[in-house]
Amino acid sequence: MTASLIGFAAVLFLILVRVPIAFAMGFVGMVGFMAESNFRASISMVARLIIDTSQDYGLSVVPLFILMGLFVNKGGISRELYAASNAFLGHLRGGLAMATIVACGGFAAISGSSLATAATMAKVAMPEMRRFGYSDELSTASIAAGGTLGILIPPSVILVIYGLLTETSIGKLFVAGIVPGMLGILLYLCAVRWTVWRTPEAGPAGPRVPLRGRLAALREVWAVVLLFFLVIGGLYGLFDIPPLNLNFSPTEAAGMGAMGAFLIALARRRLSLKDTLEVLLETSITAASLFAVLIGAWIFSNFVNVAGLPAALSDLITAYDLRPWQVMAVILVIYIALGCVFESLSMLLLTVPIFFPLVTSLGYDPIWFGIIVVVVTEISLITPPVGLNVFVLKGVVGDVTTGTIFRGVTPFWVVDIVRLALLLAVPALALYLPAQM
Amino acid sequence: MCRPDPWGGTFAIDHMMRFFSLSVWLPGLLASAALFVLMVMTFADVVLRSVFNAPIEVAADLTRLLMAVMVFSVMPVLSGRNAHVSVDLLDAPFARFRLSRWRDAAVCLFCGAILFLPAQRVFDLAERSRSYGDVMEYLRLPLHVVGWFIAAMTLVTAVVLVVRGVLLIVAPRLAGSAP
Amino acid sequence: ADTTLRVSTWLPPTHGINTEIFAGLIGMIEEASGGQVSGELVFGLAPPPAQMDLIQDGAADIAIIFHGYQPGRFIGTKLIELPGFEGNAEAASVAYWRVHEAHLAKLDEHRGVKLISLNTHGPGQIHTSKDVASLADLNGLKTRIGGGVAGDVGAALGLVGINVPAPKVYETLESGAADAVAMNVGERVGFKLNEVAKNLYDMPGGFYRGSFAIIMSQETFDSLPADVQAALDEKVFGEPASRMAGAAWDKSDMIGYEATKSAEGTKIVDASAEDQAKFAAIAAEVTAKVLAELEGAGVDAQAAYEMVKAEMAAN
Ligand code: NA
Ligand code: NA
Repeated sequence: MTASLIGFAAVLFLILVRVPIAFAMGFVGMVGFMAESNFRASISMVARLIIDTSQDYGLSVVPLFILMGLFVNKGGISRELYAASNAFLGHLRGGLAMATIVACGGFAAISGSSLATAATMAKVAMPEMRRFGYSDELSTASIAAGGTLGILIPPSVILVIYGLLTETSIGKLFVAGIVPGMLGILLYLCAVRWTVWRTPEAGPAGPRVPLRGRLAALREVWAVVLLFFLVIGGLYGLFDIPPLNLNFSPTEAAGMGAMGAFLIALARRRLSLKDTLEVLLETSITAASLFAVLIGAWIFSNFVNVAGLPAALSDLITAYDLRPWQVMAVILVIYIALGCVFESLSMLLLTVPIFFPLVTSLGYDPIWFGIIVVVVTEISLITPPVGLNVFVLKGVVGDVTTGTIFRGVTPFWVVDIVRLALLLAVPALALYLPAQM
Repeated sequence: MCRPDPWGGTFAIDHMMRFFSLSVWLPGLLASAALFVLMVMTFADVVLRSVFNAPIEVAADLTRLLMAVMVFSVMPVLSGRNAHVSVDLLDAPFARFRLSRWRDAAVCLFCGAILFLPAQRVFDLAERSRSYGDVMEYLRLPLHVVGWFIAAMTLVTAVVLVVRGVLLIVAPRLAGSAP
Repeated sequence: ADTTLRVSTWLPPTHGINTEIFAGLIGMIEEASGGQVSGELVFGLAPPPAQMDLIQDGAADIAIIFHGYQPGRFIGTKLIELPGFEGNAEAASVAYWRVHEAHLAKLDEHRGVKLISLNTHGPGQIHTSKDVASLADLNGLKTRIGGGVAGDVGAALGLVGINVPAPKVYETLESGAADAVAMNVGERVGFKLNEVAKNLYDMPGGFYRGSFAIIMSQETFDSLPADVQAALDEKVFGEPASRMAGAAWDKSDMIGYEATKSAEGTKIVDASAEDQAKFAAIAAEVTAKVLAELEGAGVDAQAAYEMVKAEMAAN
């Protein structure tokens, strides 16, 4: 227990002096493992993880889903999504911000990452909201919050990693994310309404689009609908009908999605050879940086594992005679605290191997816990002082302060907590759909 | 905060890398090719299996191989670009005391230095695997070849990091950092 | 205990390898060493093919390896995987250790570690999501089946191989990406096959057997007191540990059959006499191929094969 805590502190220190997270976790894990066994064993363990992680079949989902999102983006779909949501909502007070939330939800349905969702939508939605005189608070906050939907609405890189770590069905996790994701959209819309009710000048109404224009805009988003239907439908077994008999494993769903997005972008003549190469290279680099984090986290978790932390934690629970809900409450508090500093993937990798056996032994459902973890991770993305999505937005938009964004985000943060409470009280929100599979 | 790159950032090649544009593009091209083949193969596998009941038997082995090629081709590029996920929460104080460059140099040297031993051990493990005759199940490709590749690229990554660290100290302009 | 051995396992905590085989082994070690040596499980240190490296480099003291996960490395171990041997896993595991002593040890395939048990799981059967009445119905089924001997048998049966890792079996079957999986019956419980592969096509003696070895770090062993070393070598390692492991596999198979019979909508189809004869011909072909491979490696293959048959019949 002591060794593990020292390890965590060392990782935190290294991360704060800007050592890349992968190297910080890998180094501390290597030294810690050395202390628990010996020098040769530790270096070999690290070397084996370097060799094996990159060749893990299950992880091939990760680059393929990233690839799908980037191809889709090149196909101009983010713009069309926003135009379509705007045609329906733009004339309401705060309508452009509401359209942003809905478009983020739509983009989340083809993108596996929250940061990508926020960064993409910022480029599309921000100029529009500025043009119509929206306050910086509301416009940036709606994008930062809307972006968090990227890892809950399937596909989701975070859910994939959770599934691989815990040997939980990735297909079921994806399907379990749908209702909480929708709930998120709904609650964020409420947050927008609340903001413009308090300060009407924050989000003036735009012009009304006639029905014909609305239908035309809607027609443009067919590609998103098609891709989502292909990926999630295939995972769900919707196409398992003769003579098609199409069924996807998660890896295959990702491959089909990427290929589909590639073909759509190609058909729209929005993809030159140079674009294609750029997308492929950017995906490779992003994936490689995620793999580096994975390797580092695995090294660290091996150290924590041989240092006996998981066993020490269950002993602690027995010693204090904690009830399951008390343990869950403590875990959630730890997540929200860690979320202040850690980036979402590292947080997941550091905590899930420790908490998962504990939580399932207390009788909680593994799929449900996966959704809870993702929701808490989402919250961390917009929680100060380190809200990753907020910083991404600042990076893209430039001339706003993070203070402004965090101020605007407050109502969104509040409804996130409401959603978390709802999921804790009514697990069926997450579990009903996967139970039908 | 963590760097948004390479999630949403643009594709600026930094200064140092202009010097080595070929050494960036060659591995970049290799990674891109591997990823593209992975995508097309996965698609073909699903179609062949579903429609013709004839999945590609080597698909899983190929997937593993292509992923290793993709990840480790760009690992040096990623490291040379300083595009690893990191937290820059304390950037402001470091900048105020004009310590950013020294800190970056120290971090690069540290990260590079801790990679040498694992790189060497990856090579040893590959040699061990060669002595046992390990191969991929369906592809029959000797596993130590993949091991050699990973070892070599890990070593290159270590060297790139050390070079970047040294450049940050002696010639910061080359490393793309203001002094 | 003065020494606690670190036992590395890549299987989930509830798996029989942990609850029966490793627990049994640790019990035997404690007893033989008079409580001086014990062991504790460490989960998920490395994927299955990396276990031997862990032991060689001292990251753990004891581990179990599945020979099929390292294609190319083990040839002698294919002998026990052959179909056509009659008897349960205990008989097969004891015969396996004896034939290893007599014929296979000289290949030195476990070099670098100390071999402390050889065992096989129960007969490998085919579990399908679709109704299967006869051997011919297996033709064309997309099946998750291992490589080596199992792969050869699968090819001869006309199975279409789906190559996914074991933890993905439930998902692959559930999604319909695969129609069947080849495993020993005991695994039906852990992989929840009563939900996704309701039909069990049962061939007496099985279609193949899976081969395992439990290995120990030579360095760790050498560091133990001489009397403990002698006691372990005499009372635990070798045949006793192999017999215990085989018996544990049999027990898990028994539980698997019981669970299948009591689950709703499941069906066990016993191979007809006609199908058994048909399969015997396939088995003979695969056997000839593997024996030739062993012969090539320098083993008196025919004699070794006869020995396994005789030992298993005698047990
Ligand atoms: Na998503
Ligand atoms: Na945060």
